Amino acid sequence: MKYQIVIAGIGGQGAVFLVKVLSIASAIKNQKCLGTENHGMSQRGGSVSCYVKIGDFYAPAIDEGQADLLIALEGNEALRNIQYLNKERGTIVVNATKKFPKVDFETHTIDAFKKAKAKEFPIDALNVYMLGATLALDPHFPFSEKEIEEAITLMNAKVAEQNIAVLHQGINDAKGVK
Amino acid sequence: MKQILMGNDAIALGLIHAGVDMVSGYPGTPSSEILGNFQKFRDKNKLEAYAQWATNEKVGFEVAYAGAISGKRTCATMKQVGLNVASDALMSASYIGLKGAMLLISCDDPGFYSSQTEQDSRSFAKFARIPVLDPSTPQEAYDMVKLGVELSHEFESIVMLRPVMRVSHAREICDVDDEIKVTANKGDFERNIPRWGAVPPAGRFRQGLEQIERLEAIKMWNWDHLIKPKTHAFKGENMLCLTSGTGDGYVREAVEELGIKADILKLDMPYPLPKEELEALFVKYDKVIVFEESYPCIEEQLSSPKLYGKLTKHVHQIDEFSKDKVLSALANAGVIAPSHAYKSEKYTEELPKRPPNMCPGCPHRDVHYAITKVFKKKKSIYTSDIGCYTLGLNQAAIDTILCMGASVSMASGFSISDPDKTVVATIGDSTFMHSGVAPLINAAYQNHKFILVILDNSTTAMTGRQTTPERTNPHQIDIKRIVEGCGLTCHEYIYEPDLNKIVDFMKSLQEAYKTATTPVVAVVREFCVLDKENAKGRLGKVSVEVDEEKCVACDSCITNYKCPPMHYNEAGKMEIDLFLCAGCSACLDVVCPTDAFVKIEEK
Repeated sequence: MKYQIVIAGIGGQGAVFLVKVLSIASAIKNQKCLGTENHGMSQRGGSVSCYVKIGDFYAPAIDEGQADLLIALEGNEALRNIQYLNKERGTIVVNATKKFPKVDFETHTIDAFKKAKAKEFPIDALNVYMLGATLALDPHFPFSEKEIEEAITLMNAKVAEQNIAVLHQGINDAKGVK
Repeated sequence: MKQILMGNDAIALGLIHAGVDMVSGYPGTPSSEILGNFQKFRDKNKLEAYAQWATNEKVGFEVAYAGAISGKRTCATMKQVGLNVASDALMSASYIGLKGAMLLISCDDPGFYSSQTEQDSRSFAKFARIPVLDPSTPQEAYDMVKLGVELSHEFESIVMLRPVMRVSHAREICDVDDEIKVTANKGDFERNIPRWGAVPPAGRFRQGLEQIERLEAIKMWNWDHLIKPKTHAFKGENMLCLTSGTGDGYVREAVEELGIKADILKLDMPYPLPKEELEALFVKYDKVIVFEESYPCIEEQLSSPKLYGKLTKHVHQIDEFSKDKVLSALANAGVIAPSHAYKSEKYTEELPKRPPNMCPGCPHRDVHYAITKVFKKKKSIYTSDIGCYTLGLNQAAIDTILCMGASVSMASGFSISDPDKTVVATIGDSTFMHSGVAPLINAAYQNHKFILVILDNSTTAMTGRQTTPERTNPHQIDIKRIVEGCGLTCHEYIYEPDLNKIVDFMKSLQEAYKTATTPVVAVVREFCVLDKENAKGRLGKVSVEVDEEKCVACDSCITNYKCPPMHYNEAGKMEIDLFLCAGCSACLDVVCPTDAFVKIEEK
């Protein structure tokens, strides 16, 4: 299996957390995984893009036209990274309103900021919420709900219960969107 | 045992498994997590080991080096520009050698993600005449730490490990030892004055000859153990790709995915290279192309008309690698037709830029704001330094950034070269300890007149909040007393989120400057908003909104104050993003000329 994911967002939104969860999920699935993260100056509120490459890869970064999936924690950061998507099969799951511009890729929008403003989930868990949305919206996503739950628990058992609750909220809201 | 590790986790664990029990260094992206993770693994395994942040890289190197000549296995960690600071010690230590083992880890940053230069530590190793290992993944970094420590002991030479950002901050499922098999050495310094205390010329001359012999032996070890075994996998293609570090992964993926015919030889130890043996391999090939980051370290060691690389301008000379750049190089060398297999269209409309910025609620922002408010731009020069406060650039509150500590020495220089302007220097507490003290002594004894503001948030914030000398041992180390020790008054201001007060403080410095004959020095006692211990209870008390009637969209707030929650809404009026707002309330006064920022009343 080969599956390449770009996670885009703003420093502080928890893109690195998602790299960790997806690499743990790969291990659970007995798949190879190579990812990269942004640390240091690049994380101070600036644009952040992290990569996860599942399967037989040797280079840590993703080239243009290669990614199967772009998970974007914010709309402009999705647009900033669309060149990484594969033209045939690239899919976007993005936290944005319906006004998100039309692009040449299968695009799923979910207005997570609106839900967070309505206090339906804590904004700190935006990353996990969007992961839930991805589980519901990307039919080719290589992990099951159970594998992601297990990865979240392995990552930090103390807060796993809250995180899994937000994950399900993301899944359910996204299903409603569809 | 399989473990999911970030490159810097893998390096730290490798050090533990290699029996290293003395680690010293200075934080710098992308190297910073190595020492902290070593401490975690040490504590988890209940090991006795020294692992502490040094005041700077040179100090860190020398602490670790003394350990290595006492027979211990040691390590110094730093980023590539930190190696510049440690280089004085390295150059000499390379002649002298060691008894135990010492791994020098210098992390590079191709692509300038968090650095002022793209300099290649492998080329530095070549300059210093020590072997260097160049990992391409976290797994390799783990393996090469262990190999490097062994080689260091065997050849009595410092060995460098050079991970790039894409290795240090990559994450991979790694195969690591189940248990710690190596026991740490006990330090026992054996007096040997001709070796450890050699003076020029005779002693050093002999050590210079030994250094060359050592390198020749390492070259042959490199050939026998690392290079020759790989040549058996050659398939007899017409093209040979010589790779090093992450360059290897990009070449391998591109070649595999596009069915390009090439033999690939990855050089795990890019210096020293067995030149004759390698060049003998070229006979069978039409072209040999070198893929390396970021300087032509391998290419400079070889010579052949068949060789293509950065020196021949066939491979890009700046920025990190990508598969697209691999294809460009192959096309430039005439071995494939130009290909756009790894090119795709960017989004065409303009997107708002989102450069790194100081966090909402960060006290640095207020200090920069107050400095530019009081010391007018036309009549001032703002020198600054390396740290989060460098991002005061966004507020146009900084004129120069050079390297660690240069804010102070350049303030001296400007006070001489352009005496009509007031020079205001800003430096963080960790950077001041690192290399701000020596230039302050210089300025004090020569009576240079400028203003120095030390921004003391008692942590090394930018690199992930490592502890500082003052934080660890406040009873002994205190910035104010260091300044006073130079015979200078240290003006002190305890930060609070009230711009009127900090502007008044800057005015008091301006008054002091008028009659001063020496540097005017101040310390602002701040906190880092990400530092849970110190920031506790100091943020999140007040929410702010904008009175749209009053906002005239003058840009003043987002130009001079530039707090991340501030943005224009669809009506063209300023709006505060409450998800981002830290609730510090500092913007309520002074920032807005029409007083449009108002407190949200609690309901």
